[in-house]
Amino acid sequence: MKKILLLLISVFFTLNSFGQSSISYSPVNTVTKVGDTLIMKFQYYKVDGAELTLAQFDFEYNNKLLSYISHQSIAPTGASFARNNWTGYKFNPKADTSEDDMDVQYTWWKDEAGNNSYSTSANWSVERTTIQTSAAYVDGNEFVKYSFKVKDKFGSGYDNYNDIIKVNWANYQESDGTQIQTTKNPSTQSLSGIEGGNAGAFVINLKTANSVKTDYSYTIKNSAGESVATGDFDESGQASISGLENNVTYTAEANLKEDATYLDEVVTVSDLALVFAEAIGAGSGPSGGSTTFDYFIQDIMGDVVGSDNGVDFQDSYEILAYLQGVTSGNSNLITQDGQTEDYSGIESTYGAVTNNTVTFAKSFTPIDSDTSSKTIDLAHGLRGDVNFSHSWEPSVSSGEKATSAQTSSFRISSAAGSKYSQTETANIDLISEINDDGRVVFSINSEIEDMVGSQFNIVYDPNILSLENVIFDTGNEMTNFSNVIEAGYIRVGSFDQNVSSTVKAGTPYQLIFVPVEDISNASGLISFRVKEGVKADGTQINFIIQ
Amino acid sequence: MKKILTLLSLVLIMGCYQDDDLVTLYPDQEVPQSLQIKDLIGIKLENTIVTDRVAMNVKLPLDGKYRIKIRHGMTNELISQEMITAGEGDNLLKVYVASLEKSGYVIQLTDEFHNILGNQSFVVN
Repeated sequence: MKKILLLLISVFFTLNSFGQSSISYSPVNTVTKVGDTLIMKFQYYKVDGAELTLAQFDFEYNNKLLSYISHQSIAPTGASFARNNWTGYKFNPKADTSEDDMDVQYTWWKDEAGNNSYSTSANWSVERTTIQTSAAYVDGNEFVKYSFKVKDKFGSGYDNYNDIIKVNWANYQESDGTQIQTTKNPSTQSLSGIEGGNAGAFVINLKTANSVKTDYSYTIKNSAGESVATGDFDESGQASISGLENNVTYTAEANLKEDATYLDEVVTVSDLALVFAEAIGAGSGPSGGSTTFDYFIQDIMGDVVGSDNGVDFQDSYEILAYLQGVTSGNSNLITQDGQTEDYSGIESTYGAVTNNTVTFAKSFTPIDSDTSSKTIDLAHGLRGDVNFSHSWEPSVSSGEKATSAQTSSFRISSAAGSKYSQTETANIDLISEINDDGRVVFSINSEIEDMVGSQFNIVYDPNILSLENVIFDTGNEMTNFSNVIEAGYIRVGSFDQNVSSTVKAGTPYQLIFVPVEDISNASGLISFRVKEGVKADGTQINFIIQ
Repeated sequence: MKKILTLLSLVLIMGCYQDDDLVTLYPDQEVPQSLQIKDLIGIKLENTIVTDRVAMNVKLPLDGKYRIKIRHGMTNELISQEMITAGEGDNLLKVYVASLEKSGYVIQLTDEFHNILGNQSFVVN
């Protein structure tokens, strides 16, 4: 009897030690048709007796089939809750491990994968939830509920709603930092029996290089110019519109909101270099001639003074003045903080040249018998963004400059695809350190030899640091600029207007800050946004900081 | 004689110690439980969800120069970087996040030559 009892006890403890906590995710409601709201709950199950006080997990959903509506924290009173979202990414699980092993996948993301943990993927969005609490979570407690709108699979590229939500990793910890072994249930979530769709709804797909699609709105007008539908694009860049009539011609346009936080990052030294090179080349325009641009639309985008639908020195100096923070006598059209100048049109003809004029055709006509007419791709661009960093690069052949100075060997080599999406990369070191005088010194160290221009948009905490000085050591030929855009945000860089001299290697830029309170270190006080250089042929250099 | 020799030895040892570039941070400060690191090397923040600033412990194997890097939690892109000179053992520091965008990040401890010594994820809320 004693032996049997011992055996039972030992089996019990063995089983218990192999148990793992888990994250469970499942629908709260039943969805049956396109347009329904799917509510998903994410829940904690405790098996191993661990005292969970930190829960962080990451899941991805198919944004072509689901559209985020809202989330609701179910964290206990007093707990801290945070939600993050990134659209256009998909998790790469650790090879040769179980995708259900959540703590292994978390460690892979945090410690091992580096740049390989996520890939860019337009069809997927990643959500991350973090909850920190002082009282341990109870078995069965919910973390959060998410609401999604079920989208029409027609035209999405998917035949069904299988595997549309998947938890990628989970970080469960006890209060002393002990990692809790965790699994997930189920491996993926699917929907079945979804009906409806393709029943008259009209879909607009936004085409832009900007990853933040939700900052864009659309307007549909009838032939009288009256607005018949307006709204915002979802995270995947789609908008579904109802109420349009068949066999009626409408126009569509897209606009970027003027309070987007990154508008100061749209026009940079790379655009300046292209516009300067074009101005030096002269003779651009739809009639051809000597040009460094690849598309006619760049003549419009680069005409930031708005004088003649072509680029000249006035435009190049206007962009230089903008980067330097100098006010000219012109009221320019450069995309910048609080100001956008939008262009949009049907993608297949966006930027086409007709009768010697660059066009942005906007009209479409839904036809009941033609399902392809129920969807349009709407391209969008911004004035000043001649390198298409936040704008759509035209695909229509008549929009290309056949005689362009596609003299750039780099661009010719990439002619099969985007001419501007390929850039060069180079290593650089940006670092802050407290010196012997107690000042915070931010140094930009570069060994790059062939940059005719460079730009760094640097953010600092103005409540703790006061900018004392900017020290340039870029060589004797460069035009340097340091422009405080707003408190705690400075633009620093250089450009040679002859596009021949280069930024000196070494430490070309140093920013000296005086702390306004006692600090022992400076972690997080200074961060960097735009960091790019440009070569004489207009090739953008994206800096890699190790 | 023994006492004199001991005293001389002590003076000699102290004379040989180079402290030119070394800053030992809060040498007498006790490490609170929320910042204690079990391993010999590592980095730990007091909280995972942060709004303005947060206490941080950096536990080092040797005196020397180290980098504290803040990387974006999705792209892994380097957002901010500091070089510190600190001493062996626990070093209580701070991370200031008020000027960082609300997002997920990973804070990373490396040696001067970018060899990773520890990571922790955190969120600016």
